Amino acid sequence: MDQRTLALGVEAVGCAAFDAGIKGAFGYPGTPSTEGFEYVEAMIQASAPERVAQWATNEKVAFDLALGASYTGHRALVTMKHVGLNVAMDGYANAALTGVQGGLVVLVADDPGMHSSQNEQDSRKLAEFSWLPCLEPSTVQEAYDFTLRAFELSEALQVPVMVRLVTRLAHCRAPFLRQETLPPTHRGQVPGDHVQDWVLIPSNARRRYVDLLAKQPRMREAAAEINRLVPGTARRGVAAAGLGRAYFAQLALEYPELAALPRLEVAAYPLDPATEEAFLAQVDEVLVFEEDYPLLEERLGLRGRARVRGRLDGAVPRTGELSPRVLKEALGLDPLDRKAIPALDLPVRAPRFCEGCGHVDAYEAVQEALRNVGAPEARVFGDIGCYTLAAQEPLEAIHGVVEMGASISLAAGAALAGQKPAVAVIGDSTFAHSGLPALLTAVESGADVTVVILDNRVVGMTGQQPSQALDQVERLVLGLGVPESHMAVLTPLPSKHAENVAAVEAALQRRGTSVLVFRRECIQSLRRGVLKEHDREARERQACTTCAPEVRP
Amino acid sequence: MSAARIHGIVLAGVGGQGVLSMAQIVLEALRRSGLHALQSEIHGMSQRGGSVQAQVCFADTPLTSPLIEEGGADLLIALEPLEALRYVSMLRISGHLITAEDPIADMEGYPPLEDVHRALRAVRGSHLLDTESLARKLAHKQAGGMAILGMASRFLPVPEETWREVIAQRFEPKGARVVEKNLEAFSAGRQLIPEGVEV
Repeated sequence: MDQRTLALGVEAVGCAAFDAGIKGAFGYPGTPSTEGFEYVEAMIQASAPERVAQWATNEKVAFDLALGASYTGHRALVTMKHVGLNVAMDGYANAALTGVQGGLVVLVADDPGMHSSQNEQDSRKLAEFSWLPCLEPSTVQEAYDFTLRAFELSEALQVPVMVRLVTRLAHCRAPFLRQETLPPTHRGQVPGDHVQDWVLIPSNARRRYVDLLAKQPRMREAAAEINRLVPGTARRGVAAAGLGRAYFAQLALEYPELAALPRLEVAAYPLDPATEEAFLAQVDEVLVFEEDYPLLEERLGLRGRARVRGRLDGAVPRTGELSPRVLKEALGLDPLDRKAIPALDLPVRAPRFCEGCGHVDAYEAVQEALRNVGAPEARVFGDIGCYTLAAQEPLEAIHGVVEMGASISLAAGAALAGQKPAVAVIGDSTFAHSGLPALLTAVESGADVTVVILDNRVVGMTGQQPSQALDQVERLVLGLGVPESHMAVLTPLPSKHAENVAAVEAALQRRGTSVLVFRRECIQSLRRGVLKEHDREARERQACTTCAPEVRP
Repeated sequence: MSAARIHGIVLAGVGGQGVLSMAQIVLEALRRSGLHALQSEIHGMSQRGGSVQAQVCFADTPLTSPLIEEGGADLLIALEPLEALRYVSMLRISGHLITAEDPIADMEGYPPLEDVHRALRAVRGSHLLDTESLARKLAHKQAGGMAILGMASRFLPVPEETWREVIAQRFEPKGARVVEKNLEAFSAGRQLIPEGVEV
């Protein structure tokens, strides 16, 4: 029987982090990174009470938690999707200067083709920008192996190391071979004579920046050990990274003639100029296969040694993900014969709100209230979550979605510029993620804004993870300066529609910042009983009379 | 060096129908049969009632590509007829299509069902199953999916015993009765396709 473990690529990263002896895993959910955290979380809950797995309010908080664990000398993993790295970027770029103590691996899952994201930015570029190493696996086995290697590299070079996945690998399920599991490792906290390295006041930071640059040759050497030059007899070559490497390797099984092409297989960054030169010396023309940005393509092109082809000259489509078909076209291989496409118009089956979802009731109340106050055309600012589906037919209830937590400031900015009424719609977890500072500023600015918080008590879209704002949305809202007279808690149910419309109308006509909390648990999490235990404990605490009422939670 | 023969399976349906779960059963069954296999799926918003697709590829040599090319699939397994039509062009000329006849038509612009069925029957190598009737006959509301898998199983180089093992393990947490009902549905489907059609 096969002794290998069967898991998704992103789960293999979580598994490797466990086996590498991490003390802590941290993250914020985001497709396609979520299962990486959940996998290691399940391992920790099942068998390792001395370790910790903690979701954070956002990716920056998650990164800082991991860096704090690293400071104490323990290994740590932090997980996020590509746009989450933007949120964590302040910590990530500056941890390049402080360095790390315990190994720190940053799992970032990119989403070329934007299956469930608002852009297809390339995290390799942000690693390069931060002068940090990045490993890019192409198979599930490599996702596991490279993560182990990333922890070693992180400690050897004393910097955070990124493991970059893309959707197709993150959600590719395949067997992989595990190594032995290390107990949590411990290198001791940052020693006294290195404490100043971690205090990034300008005098230290200048020194640490020089130190970071001085580490670059070692980073390039480490990458060069992982990257591979495969010689061939042809004068046309292929440079491939990540899934480009995986697709090419498989095509080479089906088309043995491809073995004649010299190959540069890239799996680690920063790239070593000597490797690039050695490869370019063998070829007159190069086809570059990489996911997202033409990073490798630009670097090779700048050397001026060969004709470099890829996304920039149209040999590969400028946007979207790679596929075997894309590679074949670029390589001049004929497509396969296939069955004819049936001559019938097939309507798109778009995702939609679940039957009975409370978000729909909340949106219907907001739309009717806007009509009642004579503003049916008012632009409403939305945010990121299941409720973003309201931008589409039939509701078309939100008219702007940019990034996590943006809705409140977009509405406040529009209000300050004269829009009336100005409405923001945000979920409870997105509110915790980055709506909190936005609400504080909205209140401070005196803008006339109505903020609708859709509180379904979980992070619905990514699989009903716990929301950090669970049971405390009102306290947070009041704590940020919204007066009690300007807050209402509503239940989004058809039977409460009239009442809800009246509450929204009142808020729309009020001065200053008003908040409407529409609370009803996500029906998926209700069905799965995600909060059952939590709610039972809360009820028991309420019923317990050992403490005086004023100190009960 | 001769070219490797890589086989592909596309599984399609609507969010909530169990497409991903079926893909995992297929992957595990192939793996236990000593083949190299990997599976690709897309998560996220598509869980919310949208089109869902998963792919499994297998060969007797290690594989690295999680994606099947158009024309690279030997088998299309669909739990909904419109979703089956959507992926017909993934099939090789010689490929087979197994699909449920019963629609999930809660959307605008769903073509007349007879047109959908006619288009499916026009595809060479298509096998349609009236899952509703089968479910009634077996007194098992969810029999359709397992019966579709049973039909598809004839085309795959996996011994019947291995299928039964994998299915039994999959449903074990839900109790012996559920295991038995699913195995019954699987067998009912498997009997609908004659032996000797393995890819």
